[in-house]
Amino acid sequence: MAEAGRIVAPPLAPTVGSASPWRRFHWAFVVGAGFFVIVCLLLILTPWIAPYDPAEQDLLNRLAPPSPAHWFGTDHLGRDILSRLLHGGRFSVSIAAIAVLITGTTGTLLGAISARVGGLLDDFLMRLVDALLAFPGVLIALFLVFILGPGYGTLIIALAIAGWTPFARLTRAVTLEINTRGYIEAAEALGCSRAFIIFRHVLPNAIGPVLAQGFLRFGHELITVGGLSYLGLGVQPPESDWGAMLADAQLYMIRAPWLVIVPGLTIFLTALSVTLAGHGLRQSLRRGGPRALGAVAAPKEPGT
Amino acid sequence: MARFIIRRVIFLVATLFVVSVLAFVVPYLGDTDPARQILRARLGGELALDPAVVEAVRRQFGLDQPLPFQYLRWLEAAITGDFGNSYTNRQPVIDIILRGLGVSFLLALSALVLATLIAVPLGILAALRPGGRRDSSIILMTQGLVALPEYWLAPLGMLVFALWLGWLPAAGWSSPLSVVLPAVVLSLRPLAYLLGVTRASMITVLESPYITAARSRGLSQLLTLRRHGLKNAMVPVMTLFSIWLAGTLGGSVVIEVIFAIPGLGRVMYDAVVNGDMPVVQAGVIATVGLAIVINTLTDIGYAILNPAIVVGDANG
Repeated sequence: MAEAGRIVAPPLAPTVGSASPWRRFHWAFVVGAGFFVIVCLLLILTPWIAPYDPAEQDLLNRLAPPSPAHWFGTDHLGRDILSRLLHGGRFSVSIAAIAVLITGTTGTLLGAISARVGGLLDDFLMRLVDALLAFPGVLIALFLVFILGPGYGTLIIALAIAGWTPFARLTRAVTLEINTRGYIEAAEALGCSRAFIIFRHVLPNAIGPVLAQGFLRFGHELITVGGLSYLGLGVQPPESDWGAMLADAQLYMIRAPWLVIVPGLTIFLTALSVTLAGHGLRQSLRRGGPRALGAVAAPKEPGT
Repeated sequence: MARFIIRRVIFLVATLFVVSVLAFVVPYLGDTDPARQILRARLGGELALDPAVVEAVRRQFGLDQPLPFQYLRWLEAAITGDFGNSYTNRQPVIDIILRGLGVSFLLALSALVLATLIAVPLGILAALRPGGRRDSSIILMTQGLVALPEYWLAPLGMLVFALWLGWLPAAGWSSPLSVVLPAVVLSLRPLAYLLGVTRASMITVLESPYITAARSRGLSQLLTLRRHGLKNAMVPVMTLFSIWLAGTLGGSVVIEVIFAIPGLGRVMYDAVVNGDMPVVQAGVIATVGLAIVINTLTDIGYAILNPAIVVGDANG
């Protein structure tokens, strides 16, 4: 991690001073990002490392407790929980990742444009952001499922509609601050185009905070995806993801509590790792002011 | 000030209008035929339908008329509170929504009050020595709370407190004890956010000159906090409280489904699963409308308390 840190650090945290390279990043970022990278590697390698076929049933071995043969036990159809976790995680994590990529890009661009152009456009966009912030994301998803039917694509669209606002708010704030700098005035005086200023001056400055926000949002989206799948509105059978596994497990939770504990713990640890990474990254960016330590993600945000 | 309030109210009405158009028109954009959907919701399940029956239903509900015309007729009725009848049980939609809203309000309020009662003292505690060990551990705890999926905590809570210990009812909405488990689970995420805001706003207040002045006059820390700090620091906390209240009213779908609570979230979920379009439309308008109304009232209240905001707003 220290090596990776040394390569990435300069553009992200130009103000961080004389501390040795591995001190540049807050411990929370190193721990969180490290754990998350391991999760991603496991999910990428799933086809080769999963011990069983996730759909393979073994009805003589139903609801078996954890054992050397089945590390996390088996479910009500005798399917191996570990294999199902690995395969299901590919859906959960990829949906959240795609949603964060889409919302991060559009939100950041909209925020930067809004702040650079100003006027009516800015007014309109920010009111839209306010209105969307008040709208619970789960309801947008419910509404879309009503129209499009459940599935992978519906989930991504729902998350994309609801999720760009924190990025837009953040980038707008960063851009407004950059707007007052001398080099922007110079660029304007030289006749640089709006697009040039945004891509050359604004976005490079915004990338650090946006990245931190991206990690925080990733955790949020992962939990939302799990919730929708839990309700049966996400990935449809025979495919399964972490939320759907939890829903399946609930009927058997008295006989086999590990069926509920394991997938939930997986979602929790993955979400926690990215949240810590985002928190730590933000700390590294703003080290020096204790006030920065505070609030979680964007505070103005109702639940999932 | 008057101009600010008028602007906000105009925006409120405009947003409600756009939302009503979206809520009404968008469900028609899918390739589902509403007339067939009505029959399916009533009869339950996919059936081979007689085209003549479908045609009759279409005429009966006015679905053969152009969409803008249908919208205006619907809007006219909706303004008087008539959102039609549910496709599934034929009750007036407005009754279904109001009943759900009452339950959700009680649940959301219990959860948020609980969250505030814990978050504010902890936030202040963290703010007293920012960057200290106590502060860091409180912040670490909030990171954990944000990452906790409520659909995991809820079954676990049920397992431990209802099935193993037998202290609380597992699900349902029959006794006052029913509210405890869902409210606790629902309170954790807002707790984290409220704590963050309390802490940040308290740090700002504690750094301000009048606090230094009070301290230099020899007031104890507790007295300084009580007399000068707390009231000012609570304004952003109350704002966040009302925003969360608005969001939780329709947004606690998962919790309401898990605990079989007949709130608005549950109503919406059932309506989506059963294809009950009038309930979906009215439910969307009710939740979004309430959220925007609460937000606008908060903004106006905030502006009255702190007129500097209005100046900022007028400048864009």
